[in-house]
Amino acid sequence: MTFLQARGVVRAYGHTPALRGVTLDVAEGEILAVTGPSGCGKSTLLHCLAGILRPDAGQVTWRGERIDTWSEAARSRLRRTEFGVLFQFGQLVAELTAAENVALPLLLAGTGRRAARTAALAWLDRLGVADVADARPGEMSGGQQQRCAMSRALVTEPRVIFADEPTGALDTLAGEQVLTQLVRLAREQRTTVVLVTHEPRIAAYADREVSLRDGMVDHTGLGLDPALPGGSR
Amino acid sequence: MSTSHVLLGLLAAGPRHGYELKRAHDERLPRARPLAFGQVYATLARLHRDGLVAPAGQERDGGPDRTAYALTDDGRAALDHWLGTVEPPMPYVTSTLFAKVVVALLVADAGQARDCLIAQRRAHTQRLRELTALKTAPGARLDEVIAADFAIAHLDADLRWLHTTLDRVADWHREVRS
Amino acid sequence: MRPGTLLRLVLAGTRTDIARVVLTAVSAALATLAGLAALTVLSVVEPSGDEGLNSDQYTSALLREPGLRPGVAFALLLLCVPVLGLAGQCARLGAPGRDRRLAALRLAGATPGQVTRVAVAETGVASLIGTVVGLAVFLAGRGLLHRPDADGRLPLPTDVHPAPVAVAAVVLGLPLAAALVSALLLRRVATTPFGVVRRVRTRAPWPWPGVLILAALAMFAAIRPLLLWYERRGAVAPDWLVPTLLVVGGLTAMIGVVSGTGWISYHTGRLLHRHGRGPAALLAARRLAADPWAGSRTFAALLAALIFGAGAAGMRADFQAQAEVTRRTGSGLADPGFYLGAMNLVDLAVVVAMAIAGGGLLVAVVEGITSRRRAYAAQVATGVPRATIGRSLLWAALAPAVPAIGLALTVGYLLVRGVMPAPSNGGFARTVCDAGTELCGDPATAARYTRIERVPKTTVPPDVPWDQLAWLAAGGLAAVLCTVVAGLLFLRAATSVEELRST
Repeated sequence: MTFLQARGVVRAYGHTPALRGVTLDVAEGEILAVTGPSGCGKSTLLHCLAGILRPDAGQVTWRGERIDTWSEAARSRLRRTEFGVLFQFGQLVAELTAAENVALPLLLAGTGRRAARTAALAWLDRLGVADVADARPGEMSGGQQQRCAMSRALVTEPRVIFADEPTGALDTLAGEQVLTQLVRLAREQRTTVVLVTHEPRIAAYADREVSLRDGMVDHTGLGLDPALPGGSR
Repeated sequence: MSTSHVLLGLLAAGPRHGYELKRAHDERLPRARPLAFGQVYATLARLHRDGLVAPAGQERDGGPDRTAYALTDDGRAALDHWLGTVEPPMPYVTSTLFAKVVVALLVADAGQARDCLIAQRRAHTQRLRELTALKTAPGARLDEVIAADFAIAHLDADLRWLHTTLDRVADWHREVRS
Repeated sequence: MRPGTLLRLVLAGTRTDIARVVLTAVSAALATLAGLAALTVLSVVEPSGDEGLNSDQYTSALLREPGLRPGVAFALLLLCVPVLGLAGQCARLGAPGRDRRLAALRLAGATPGQVTRVAVAETGVASLIGTVVGLAVFLAGRGLLHRPDADGRLPLPTDVHPAPVAVAAVVLGLPLAAALVSALLLRRVATTPFGVVRRVRTRAPWPWPGVLILAALAMFAAIRPLLLWYERRGAVAPDWLVPTLLVVGGLTAMIGVVSGTGWISYHTGRLLHRHGRGPAALLAARRLAADPWAGSRTFAALLAALIFGAGAAGMRADFQAQAEVTRRTGSGLADPGFYLGAMNLVDLAVVVAMAIAGGGLLVAVVEGITSRRRAYAAQVATGVPRATIGRSLLWAALAPAVPAIGLALTVGYLLVRGVMPAPSNGGFARTVCDAGTELCGDPATAARYTRIERVPKTTVPPDVPWDQLAWLAAGGLAAVLCTVVAGLLFLRAATSVEELRST
C-alpha cells in the first residue's frame, strides 16, 4: 500500500496555475526534499499533500485512501493527529506560552490539561527549550520559536511532518540546529518528513530530492531520482 | 596552500619528528588531502635550510633515524607574519569545474554542455548530502563539523553557480535558436 | 507635496480603507443630523409676552413647553455619544494596514508632516463629506417633513432654522476635530517609521476606572445637596452648575465603565484560564489577558448606550413612583401620562443608540478577525478546527461582556437614583370641599362643607425596574452574540490558506 501519494495534482490561484499535474510518491520513513525556484508551486504541493488545500484536479491518497475528497473537519483531524506542520514562522499563537502552544494539539484531541502540559514540557526539554516554557513567542528568539513549533508538530507523534522553509527566518547556525534536530528525531521515530526549500544546502538534509519547475516535476535535472544513493540508511 | 606554514604551526606546540607531524596534520585538517611522508621530509629540509626549524635531538631505538625538529625564533616570526597576512580574496578563478564548463560551451553544443552541467550538479548534490549526513551524525566532533561546514559552503556556492549557469545556458540556447 | 499627490496617496488604500472612509463619513453624517436636530429644537422662538409661554404651533408637548425643549436637545446630543463611539471604532478598521502603509511612505522619504497630512486629509475629507451629506439630508428632511395638520400645527420644528453660524460650526468643526484626533493618534507613526509594530501590553490594567465611576456617582449625588445648600442660603445656583455636573459626571461614568472593561477583561481572562476547560477557553483566556483593551474598544459604544438606557429606566421608575405619590396624596405631578410618554421617546432613542452601537460592535469584531487572519490561517493549517477558533471568539466576547453590561446598567441606574431621591409628598394640610361644584363654588355655602384634611407624608421608593434592565441586558447580550456570529462568517475567508502566502 502506498504511504502518501499525489496523482496528477492540479491547483490554481484564480487564473494563475500553481500546480499543473504533479505526480509524486512519498515513502514511509523517508526524508524528502521538494525544491525549485520561488513560484514553482512547491508550497502549494505541500499544502495539497497535507490536506490544507484541495486540488482542483487529481488525487491525494494517504495509506490508500483519497483525502482530497474528505471534509474540512476530517482533514483537520488528520492534520492534527497523523500530520505535523512546520512553517517558516507564524504558526505559534502569540498569546499562549510555549508550553501551552505545544499542548494545544493534545488539548484539541481531548487530553486533560495537566497531562498535556507534562507531555509538552517533555518535548520542549527534548528540543532544549524547556527554559522558555512559560514565555510567549514574542519573548523568544527565532530559533527558540522554531524549536517550540517543532515540539508542537511532534507532540502528537505524527506519521508525517510537513516543513515549509522551516529555517527561512533563521540564521545559518540556528537553522542548522533546528534541521539537525528535526532529521535526528524523524529518524529515531521513523517519521516521514516532506521538506520544502529553495536552498540546496537545506535540501541536502533529505534522503531524496524532487525539484519542481513551473508547477511540474522537473525530470530534466534532479527530478525524481530515487537512484541517488547518498542518503540511504 | 602553504604546507610549510602549517608544519610551522604544528611545531609551535613543541618539537616533533616527521611521522608525528604527518599524523597531526591529517588529524587537524581532516578534509584536506593527506600529506605524503616524502613531502613532510622535503618541507622540513627546506625549513631547516632557511633556519626556520632546528633539530632538537634524535631518537634511535632500533628503527630508522628519527630527528625531532623545533621552531626557531625566525620560524616563529615567519609563522606570525603568515598569520598576520590577509589572504587575497580569490585573485584568480582557478577551478577545474569552471574551466570544464567553459570549454564544454566552446567545443560542444548546448545540449552537451547542459548534460555536463546536470551530471556535475548531481555529483555535487550527492557529495553535499554525504557531508551533511556526516556532520549531523550523533557524536560528530567539532573539527569534523567545521571541516564539513567549509566543504558544504563551497559546494553550496558551486551548486548555486551550476543552477544559474544551467538557466543561463537554457536562455542562451533559446535566444540562438529563435 | 502637491494636492494631486496628496489625493493620490490618500486614495492608495485597499478595500478596507475604502470601507473605513465610508463608515467614517456615515458616522459623521449621523452626528451632523443629531447635532442639527438639537440646534433646531433649541432655536424654537418663544412667543413674545410672558416668560414660559408655550409655542402652540407644535403638536408635541415636548416642543411646545420651553422647559422641556432643552431636555429634548440634550437627549439628541446624547445620541451623538454612541455615534462618536461608532466613528472611533470605524477609525480602527484596517488601521494597522494603514499605519504600515504610512510607515512605508516614511521609509520612502516622506517627512513626518507629510505623512500626518496624508492621514489627516483622509479622515478630514471623509468627515467633511459626511457632514455635508448630513446637512443635505437635514435640509431635504426639513422640506419633506414640513407637514402642518388641519389646525396648522407642526409635528416637528420645521418652521425655524438653526443659526447659520451654529450650522457652520457643526459642518466644519466636526471634520476639523476628527482630523485633529487622527493627527494625535498618528504621532507614533509620524515619529518613527518602525514604530508601527504594535506591542500588545501585558501589564495588568489598574482598577483606577473604579475611581472614575465613584467620582461620577458622587457628582450626580452632589447635585441635590448643592441645590439645597444654595436654597438654604437664599441664593440661586448658577445656571451652569447642574448641566456641567450632569455632562461631566455622565462622561466620567462612561469613560470609567468603558476603561473598566479592560480590567474586567483581564480578570475574566485569568479566571477563565484557571477554571476554563478545553482549548477554546484557553485560547480565549490568553487572548483576553494579552490584550484586555480589545474589550474596551469593542464594547465602547454599546456600553455608552446601555448606561444611557439604564438611566432612562431609572427615570421611568421614578416617574412611576411620582405618579403613585400623586395618586395617594392628590397633588404632585400634574400629568404623569405626559412624562411617561416622553420616556417612550427616550426609550426609542436608547434603541436607536443600541442599534448604532451594534454597528460599531460588528465593525470591531470583523476588524479583530481580519487583523489576525494570518495567525488564524496558520492555526487552521496546523489542524485547529475552525469551530474551536469560533468558540474561542465567542468566549472572548461574552466572558467580559456579561460583567461589563452588568456594570454599565448598574452605573446608569445608580446615577439617576443619585440625582432623584425617592419621591415623596404630603405632610401638609389642605382644605377639601365635600359638596358639589355648585355649593363649593359659592363662597357663602362653601364654608359649611369645607374641612381641613391632613395629608400624611407619603414616600414611594421607586421599584428597581428589573424587567426593563433585564431587557436592556438581554438586548446588549443579543447584540454581542449576533455580531460575533456575523463576524464568524468572515472567519472562513480569513482562514483560507492563501493568507499564509502573503508574508
